[in-house]
Amino acid sequence: MSLDMYEILEIPDSSERELQDLFHEKGWGDGLPMIAPTRDRVEEMLSASQDLDPDEVIASLPPRNGVATRRIIAVNAVMAGCRTEHFPVLVSAIRALSAPEMNLRGVNATTHCVAPLLIVHGKAARDGNYNSGLGAFGPGNLANATTGRAVRLTLLHVAGATPGVGDASTQGSPAKYSYCVAENLDSSPWGGYASTVGIDDESAVTVHCGEAPHNVHDMESSEPSAILDKVASAMTSWGQNNAPISQGEYFIALCPEHAATCAAHGWSRSDIASYLFNKATVNVGDARKAFELRAWAPWQHALEDTDNMSMTEKAENIRIFVTGGAGKHSCVIPSWGMTKSVTVPVLP
Amino acid sequence: MEIYAPTGNTGEPQNSLASPIPVLNGLSLGILDNTKPNARVLLDRLADRLVERVGLTLAIAETKNAALAASDQVLESLSKEVQVVLTASAD
Repeated sequence: MSLDMYEILEIPDSSERELQDLFHEKGWGDGLPMIAPTRDRVEEMLSASQDLDPDEVIASLPPRNGVATRRIIAVNAVMAGCRTEHFPVLVSAIRALSAPEMNLRGVNATTHCVAPLLIVHGKAARDGNYNSGLGAFGPGNLANATTGRAVRLTLLHVAGATPGVGDASTQGSPAKYSYCVAENLDSSPWGGYASTVGIDDESAVTVHCGEAPHNVHDMESSEPSAILDKVASAMTSWGQNNAPISQGEYFIALCPEHAATCAAHGWSRSDIASYLFNKATVNVGDARKAFELRAWAPWQHALEDTDNMSMTEKAENIRIFVTGGAGKHSCVIPSWGMTKSVTVPVLP
Repeated sequence: MEIYAPTGNTGEPQNSLASPIPVLNGLSLGILDNTKPNARVLLDRLADRLVERVGLTLAIAETKNAALAASDQVLESLSKEVQVVLTASAD
């Protein structure tokens, strides 16, 4: 591998306006101003990978089958405004996006509004100053904003997920600009999320391709069941893509206060998931009326119209993590449906 | 100033289109319905026309999930039974 495999443009020194116009003419970017990916800036970003090969292929990204080397990911990181300490999280997230169960071709190309959510765990979240507290989903934090944006720029430029070309999303989504949050480990009564899916490294990142957050507001309840009944209500709206798809995952981002109420009553993560599995149910006949196209597990097809069934085929599809600051707002993040979340260690 | 283009290279296409079939008369036809709304209506009507006008024989209809690749079982079944497959409908 060598620099010959990259296109390098010689451009005249120009005003910031002319530079941004050039990006626009090239069809690059998300509509917001970007930083010029000069050789020096890209080399500095790559320094975060120590002596690892900058031209190693990290992923092949559909639908364009773009080759995401460390260097080309670094180019996009520079353009998004990332700092070097964010680069290993970004590289790891791109690695996760290429896992077969992610179904990135479908995620990028669907008419649905799905966007990859990054959840940063552990030491990488602390060292990179990712926000896991008040306003964790944004705006205002450089790490969350730029890492999420760099994922989107990589998908636009390398994967070819350009609206109308490789991305058929009917309405798009604000989550397609940047969608990155950190897990609030200090406020999690149950420890970190990553270890629940077998990743015990000190730093990890989860990628969950989902809808923008659906708010859950509960100011008054002192019992877990009362809070979680509202979570279940947010999980059972007919409009979400998971509704006719039984394999869909739900990420439940509990705020610290809701999590503390659950934990104070002795509820574990799996207790919460089991409760929601049994509570977030719909009438089978109503589901059949609502959707001609149903991707159900075989046992669901055998149900009578008078039966009720859960929104997802097993409790393990309901994933619980803690994020946010003071206050009593949690959220539900349903997936696109035909995708599975992936958690990987943060590696440069 | 020198800057990198952010797009990078593309890899080899994972699939390529099959060669066109010069003569359809006498061949067997299959349908691979991707279960998008109205896909089957469109595919059935197109199959009817091909049977009527070109002399194909409709042998088998299979279905797949719209968002996923067809299963190996479905592809094996089609490849054994037919020489021509009608598929794909977007929404």
